[in-house]
Amino acid sequence: MIEVQNVSIVYGSGQGAVPALEDISFSVGEGEMVAVVGPSGCGKTSLLLAIDGLLRPTSGRILIGGEEVRGVRRDVALILQDAGLLPWKTVRGNAELTLRIQKRRESVDGILSALGLNGFEGRFPAELSEGMRRRVGIARALALRPKVLLMDEPMANLDSLTRERIQNLILDLWWEMGFTGILVTHDIEEAVFLGQRIVVLSPRPARIRAILENPGMGEHAYRGSPEFLERAQGLRRILEANG
Amino acid sequence: MKQVFAYFLAVLMVFGAWALVSFSLARAKGRPILPYPWQAAAAAGENIWTLLSAFGVSALRFLLALVVAFFVGLPLGLAAGFEQKLEQFLSPLIYLLYPMPPVALLLFLYLAFGLGEVVRLVVVVMALFFQVVVAAQGAAKFIAPTHILAVRSTGASRWQLYWHVVVPATLPSVLTAARVSVGLGITMLYIAETKLGILLPPSQGLGRFIEYYTFRADIALAGVVALALLGLLFYVLLEVLERRLCRWKYVGVKGAGS
Repeated sequence: MIEVQNVSIVYGSGQGAVPALEDISFSVGEGEMVAVVGPSGCGKTSLLLAIDGLLRPTSGRILIGGEEVRGVRRDVALILQDAGLLPWKTVRGNAELTLRIQKRRESVDGILSALGLNGFEGRFPAELSEGMRRRVGIARALALRPKVLLMDEPMANLDSLTRERIQNLILDLWWEMGFTGILVTHDIEEAVFLGQRIVVLSPRPARIRAILENPGMGEHAYRGSPEFLERAQGLRRILEANG
Repeated sequence: MKQVFAYFLAVLMVFGAWALVSFSLARAKGRPILPYPWQAAAAAGENIWTLLSAFGVSALRFLLALVVAFFVGLPLGLAAGFEQKLEQFLSPLIYLLYPMPPVALLLFLYLAFGLGEVVRLVVVVMALFFQVVVAAQGAAKFIAPTHILAVRSTGASRWQLYWHVVVPATLPSVLTAARVSVGLGITMLYIAETKLGILLPPSQGLGRFIEYYTFRADIALAGVVALALLGLLFYVLLEVLERRLCRWKYVGVKGAGS
């Protein structure tokens, strides 16, 4: 479904050039959920923006469904860090944003109530708790019924209970809707909980350090099992190797 | 209701202070300098139709200038702040022209536009226009990158980006700037109506009304009060507009949370 082939991204040029990604290659099968984990500021977000078509790789290429990505695709949705809600739009206005911009007429009522947001349609983001805001961000992405869902640290800066709840929610939605997912995170447990495969990146400029299989993933109960803890420890060791 | 009471109190205080100043000046100089509020009120009553007509004409003139300044200044300012290439080119131009007082160009404006209605509008528009441009440019430069990214990631066109992000994000500061510049605008309106209004009867604008009755202090002063009320009217109007259009600014500030 998604092919990332020898992608490098360099910001700026000449003396001030800053390499963000170096020769990244991996692929994601249809319906698969892949976690990309790496230290903060290693270039994970750049990789996600490139897959979304918002950032052109300096070299290499990205294919989705066999076509090279050259701009924002309508079957790909992105969940931004801190949800990226527009403060001047209500919950409904935010959830509908992408549909309206793409001139689609589907209703968001279903997805809003699935995410426990009914009754709050007329509220502004400033009137919501942080956990609810993240759910609105998820609703905005899923309202498109996307084939591919890209997630940029959707659980960052949440208290641990809310974080687990949203992680469970994303897992359930993945089972239900069957999208192909790429989750970018710096949280080890989160990567193990949500990634069928885990792509481990090095510090900046990011290179692939390892790709781990994680067959046990898929249920809420996986979290806390001995296998889960073992994987998390293994992943931590890889991330900690040479700084 | 509380707001209405506060305004009522403010009016009472202004009139009290005014009476006090009139009284002290008369005592200090030994002759009346500033007419008392009730004298001005009586003069206003005697010339009420002329005064009302002057008020209406001035209000209309100001409203038209405000609308024109917005319609031309807002798109220009937003583009100059949001499009980086345009900004590099337009910024020096804007900041060179911005501090230039239109009053200094009165002679050329008169020669260019004559003494008709157009020239009076041009003077007021020029003053308000740069306020709007500078406010819009400043606000458009500092839109949160995540808001832009959120809309860009939906595949929005340039036009949709402006409609969904740039305009709503900058509207509060643009409206605030407009409110602040009402004072300047009223001053310019007064100058336009006096310096460029010498052929008009007193019913054709408050500036002209005040100038026409220069030697009837009580009537002239009634005109000044009307001018102040005109400023207040637009100030309140813009505030109401901001509360309506930017409702999101006034929610969830205190005790945000589930």
